[in-house]
Amino acid sequence: MAPSEGAPGLPRAEALPPTGHHPRPDAWGKVLGQTRYVGDLSLPGMLHAALVTSNRASARVRALELSAARSLPEVVAVLTAADVPGANSVGVIFPDQPLLAVDRVRMVGERLALVAARSREAAAAAVGAVRVELDPLPSVHDPVAALAPGAPLVHEGGNLIRTFQVVRGDVARHFRRATVVFEAEYRIGGQEHAYLEPQGCLAVPEGRQRVTVYASCQCPFYVQQAVARVLGLSLAAVRVIQTPTGGGFGGKEDYPSEPAACAALLAWHTGLPVRLVYSRETDMQLSSKRHAMVVRHRWGANGAGKLCFAEVETFMDAGAYVGLSTVVAERANVSAIGPYHVPAVRVRTHVVYTNNLFGGAFRGFGAPQVSVAGEATMDALARRLGLDPVEFRRRNVLDDRRRTTCTGTRLERPVLARQCLERAVELAATTPPVAAGRGEKVGTGVGLVLYGCNLHHGGQRLDRSSAVVILQPDGSVVVRVGLTEMGQGLLVAVQTVAAQALGVPPEAVEVCLPDTSTVADSGPTVASRGALAAGRAVLDAVRRLRRRLDPVAAELLHCPPRQVELLGGHARVRGEPERAVPIAQVAAEMAARRIEAIATGWYRSRPRRFDAASGQGGAYDFYAVACHLAQVVVDAELGLVRVARVVAVHDVGRVLHRPALEGQIHGGIVQGMGWATSERLAVREGRLENPSFTDYVIPTASDAPVVEIEAIEGAAGRGPWGSKGIGEPSLIPTPAAVRNAVCDALGIELFELPLVPPVIVAALGQRHPFAWLREQPADEGVGVR
Amino acid sequence: MAKKNERDTKRCHGGVTRRGFLASVGASTVGAVVASRAAAAPAQQRESLEGMVPCTLKINGRHHSLLVEPRWSLLYVLREELGLTGTKQGCERGECGACTVLVDGVARYACLTLALEVQGHAVTTVEGLVVDGQLSAVQQAFVAEDAFQCGYCTPGQVMAAEALLRANPAPSDEEIREGMSGNLCRCGAYDHIVKAVRRAAAARRAGGAR
Ligand code: FES
Ligand code: FES
Repeated sequence: MAPSEGAPGLPRAEALPPTGHHPRPDAWGKVLGQTRYVGDLSLPGMLHAALVTSNRASARVRALELSAARSLPEVVAVLTAADVPGANSVGVIFPDQPLLAVDRVRMVGERLALVAARSREAAAAAVGAVRVELDPLPSVHDPVAALAPGAPLVHEGGNLIRTFQVVRGDVARHFRRATVVFEAEYRIGGQEHAYLEPQGCLAVPEGRQRVTVYASCQCPFYVQQAVARVLGLSLAAVRVIQTPTGGGFGGKEDYPSEPAACAALLAWHTGLPVRLVYSRETDMQLSSKRHAMVVRHRWGANGAGKLCFAEVETFMDAGAYVGLSTVVAERANVSAIGPYHVPAVRVRTHVVYTNNLFGGAFRGFGAPQVSVAGEATMDALARRLGLDPVEFRRRNVLDDRRRTTCTGTRLERPVLARQCLERAVELAATTPPVAAGRGEKVGTGVGLVLYGCNLHHGGQRLDRSSAVVILQPDGSVVVRVGLTEMGQGLLVAVQTVAAQALGVPPEAVEVCLPDTSTVADSGPTVASRGALAAGRAVLDAVRRLRRRLDPVAAELLHCPPRQVELLGGHARVRGEPERAVPIAQVAAEMAARRIEAIATGWYRSRPRRFDAASGQGGAYDFYAVACHLAQVVVDAELGLVRVARVVAVHDVGRVLHRPALEGQIHGGIVQGMGWATSERLAVREGRLENPSFTDYVIPTASDAPVVEIEAIEGAAGRGPWGSKGIGEPSLIPTPAAVRNAVCDALGIELFELPLVPPVIVAALGQRHPFAWLREQPADEGVGVR
Repeated sequence: MAKKNERDTKRCHGGVTRRGFLASVGASTVGAVVASRAAAAPAQQRESLEGMVPCTLKINGRHHSLLVEPRWSLLYVLREELGLTGTKQGCERGECGACTVLVDGVARYACLTLALEVQGHAVTTVEGLVVDGQLSAVQQAFVAEDAFQCGYCTPGQVMAAEALLRANPAPSDEEIREGMSGNLCRCGAYDHIVKAVRRAAAARRAGGAR
């Protein structure tokens, strides 16, 4: 394998540098309150932006009366679609979404006009003064109904955006071998990202030629493209600087391009800096969501407890605009079977327009929804076969012998799915059982994930990353990368990798947040690829820097350049650690001789082939597996679920920085469990009825479960030193495990998520402690459908 | 004035939702919510001094005299009038805890507190915890335990921890979780936050740090 393409770093396990434990470089700014998020930035003369949006899910725009708003004091600009100098389009993939609606709105929250004023209050007043006249049109709010003949069309050309498939083996033949067949329809709700820092950006114009945008975002290059397109500028004329970002979870992948284009348009017109920071309510109402899905299953197993076939049909609610939905669907499509060996598979994943809030990227990217369904069906089949759910999984999980996935990929050995499962069960057995109070029931459930690391084949052209490494004359190091920190620990991961590669202490390395003017387009910070892709690019840059550094060190050490090694803050002669000079001295010597002390680095994933029609081929570069085991306590009377403990066993390849890895796992579990138990998006007629943290309930410190983590190293990925991604696999198995645990506790089957109290009480039906109080049995919606 | 922690303690025990709590605690909290809603009112007022009243605030040991509108929240005054942006804004309606400050050593949501209410009281923000360049025990513990991810909730968490330890120098893990449950962390750094509070409590008791 050529070093730049495949080798993850050092070749031998014993030569691996130690795992990092040091404080993150961004720790001090954050605990001191000195980190400046975009809402903390202001400039003299800065204007505040606000949006005029639709309050209907589907309507024709009859009139937009702006003069009252324009005449208000402090209001500087009120703009509509007619004021867009470039393309009135913000779709990431399809050009189906206007920045500003022209004559038709397709969802609540669709932008109609933009306001800039000297204060936030004046901007809000101007929004209130715009008179919007909308003529309602028919709308559709369910992805299955949207495909029925005669359903209102969201866009001309039909509501079906695309169908993805996996076709493997002969389902009809394997159907005949099955002794148990289970059919179900799962209705999985969406989720709000609820990053604590709302969406925000600040645009600073220079004439109409150039603009700089400071943005809270995951993907500065997406923002750059959107702003350039809307303003009709070249990419080079749009500079995007990521500001410290208060959480993303996918919600700052595609969406920030929209507020950024709004702020940039206002800045372009007014010649003044414009800041747009959403209120919480606006943020929740307008931003993208985890997709709601309807997942239909027909799976079968034989008397030996082996899966025979699996049929999955998923209807994904894309909302009114495609956004990233087709890309999310690609992952949902190939993740529908999980880490199991199934001889015959048929998956269809339909991406459907509705007039609901639009779906976008969200940690797990379509996989959590289909995993909840897949793991639920695994439990249902086990129960019908009289097998323990763990035993049933043991018989079907992929391993070193049977290691071909549903997309026909032969996984690299070792395949650790079975080990993850067994370890999770072992760890759970060593802890004392969860205590239940009066009327409470305890249950256990498992969930597994087979996670394709990096971007899916469909997004492979974006799977690249740029880095710059600068050796300062005093031996300290500046690193620039194109991928973002949003709390997941990218800075500390890159710092660790750079420090280890250059043999300097981590404190000697400063990593900067991305600025599109300093590194090449590095694609998005998504798909758990940040540390991997940025780290690999940094290793490449260090390799190139050493072409100039090593000869200088060699001269100082009186040895051939290839014998130079960098370790412990020194350049040393390999095998003779006492012959050493400090790296600072080498750096000073390079500066004195005017030797170029800056190097660039590049990473791209290996090219793969994939057949979209059959869903067969190299869907992902490589894979990670994980198993979560959840223990829950359910108050059957109230239908309340408490997740008491989660055991998480992850195949991580290699731990780069222990606290950051564990932080990701904790965070994924808490977010996954929130979605499974309390985070319900109350969407009615396309409008979110609970856009606040009072009504949309996310977990607090008291709700967080006790978490036990085991990170298994040894199955090397292609990140630095063999590491794999952790951001998304940390979330995906939890909701499935929690759902299964609740079913175990109550002895029923549940087909909805989230498991908010009314869902559980309704599902208990006659088994609810107070069912006798009811006149009518409320049993519908329960059991096998 | 809204007392924090109270509502979340309720919620986490009985699973009472936030809305349920708001409805149950009566006028004081609800009144404050309405007051902060009213902040989105007429822009014209800002242009004149009409309606402005003099106000003296003691923040981090320093006195600030300024003109405020009676409806301005402490959060607005801290961030927009005094440039103390360490106190964060996550919801502006008493739901997230990002704006937590200390008033006479007790944790308060600055977004639900009117600036005029805290005249004559000592306000401490995250900027006021550092003395002679030394981080407080809580801040040091947050660094050491990696008790944050994106950091947006962190100033609020730090202030909540500070208040908790002033009121209860040796909290149990259960008490820490409860005491911190008025501060949301969407990154889910709770496990490390609990460890950090435990570490800070020990450090404070040992007297080695503030
Ligand atoms: S901003 Fe005050 S509690 Fe959220
Ligand atoms: S660290 Fe991100 S919200 Fe707490």
